[in-house]
Amino acid sequence: MSVKYIPVQWNRFKSFYDLVVLAMIMGFLWVFVHLVPGVLPHDPAINPQIHNMRAFGSCAFFLLTAILLIGPLARLNSRFLPLLYNRRHLGVLTCFVALTHATLVIRWYFVFSPTDRYVALLNTNTAYTQLLGFPFEAFGIFALLCLIILATTSHDFWLKFLTPPVWKSLHYLIYPAYAAVVAHIGLGAFQDQQNPTFGLWMVLCVSAVVLLHLAAARHERMISDPSALGPSDGPWQALFPADDIDEGRAKVARISNGERVAVFRNNGRLSAIANACAHQNGPLGEGQIIDCFVTCPWHGFQYDVTNGRSPEPFTERVATYNIRLRDGVVEVNERANPPGTPVEPLDIPVRRPGNEA
Amino acid sequence: MMTAELLIVLAQIWGGIGAIVAVSFLTIGIEWIDEDAQGAITFRPLLIPGIMVIWPLVLWRWWALATNQDRSTSPQAAPRRCHATVAIVLTIVISTTLLISASIKQTWPDHVPAILLEAGQ
Repeated sequence: MSVKYIPVQWNRFKSFYDLVVLAMIMGFLWVFVHLVPGVLPHDPAINPQIHNMRAFGSCAFFLLTAILLIGPLARLNSRFLPLLYNRRHLGVLTCFVALTHATLVIRWYFVFSPTDRYVALLNTNTAYTQLLGFPFEAFGIFALLCLIILATTSHDFWLKFLTPPVWKSLHYLIYPAYAAVVAHIGLGAFQDQQNPTFGLWMVLCVSAVVLLHLAAARHERMISDPSALGPSDGPWQALFPADDIDEGRAKVARISNGERVAVFRNNGRLSAIANACAHQNGPLGEGQIIDCFVTCPWHGFQYDVTNGRSPEPFTERVATYNIRLRDGVVEVNERANPPGTPVEPLDIPVRRPGNEA
Repeated sequence: MMTAELLIVLAQIWGGIGAIVAVSFLTIGIEWIDEDAQGAITFRPLLIPGIMVIWPLVLWRWWALATNQDRSTSPQAAPRRCHATVAIVLTIVISTTLLISASIKQTWPDHVPAILLEAGQ
């Protein structure tokens, strides 16, 4: 955010969100530690220390699965967008749970090691050339490093400092982290476990993640932003008929340089801004205008559609575009104005029945 | 030196350099390159672990911003640009991992009671 940084920007919704997640984590751990041994015994049986480390490991896996489900769910159905709003806090909590799992593992298996416990961890199994007995610990370490990078760079400072494209690219590490966690479990605890419930849960979670991501990708492709109709006149590119834009909403088009322009209709007048929010490049064109401000559907950042500026005291800005109308079709100048440049909204001529072609 | 020991030493060196970068960036650099950080002290300790982990990236961005070499004033990366590719790769990798895990899974009578072998047998 573009006000003085504070450690954590909690508001009422975020506090509620975090409390619910904390309660769910505590509930899961309690059920796993106290109920699971009787209802779903581990086969072969394990001691309480291993049981506790598996509780935290399983919890981290389910949390990571939930994090990866939120994105595609929100894309397929906007009712899930509130879950996306505070997903970073969920990621930080997941990192803490995974760190606890790793700490329990090291303190149980390597606490009496004559060598350094971390050296012992890396040295215990070095059969990297065979699948059976592959050192699954390596996948866990890799996943944990990814989670640490994601959690430690989750503050808004990092977004501004690294820029949204770099930050988003860095946070794509969540995908290799999840793949590594699946390998860590599949080549680790799964190999030892004879109770089928364990494997079923894993397949269920993984299938949900994979299927929802594929469904979201397909959905995205089907509703893909249309390309500009083509060059019209020098830098001007024809987009779409002005009548296609609903009041208070936008229509997005991809222009020839690859950028996306969101053209908004507000009180019967048109304004165009970049489709990428300055915060995390969220799709501004999917937001709704309220009092001349469009709200990013991802995290609620707002922009005046006539100048691309966030309301005071915030200072985020996005690029604006000059637009014009020709035969009822919106045309955009592909040369974006510097972020925050005011552009007079364009009146849409009222069509009278007798004047239509 | 064993590979494991070497990795631990490298991690310690990485963290040590990261700590030096963190101290210098949080006491000097951050106020130069981000006006929102001027006078904001309490959030800075939260940045220390991140700087220690990705300090080369921090040094690059610090240099770019301090020397006006930053070329990203108008970030226009399309949202979810790479998502379809990532979804397909993730599906292939995870499915393969699960198949391998299931195919190498061993079952054996692991509850056979232990037998004490006599010396000389």
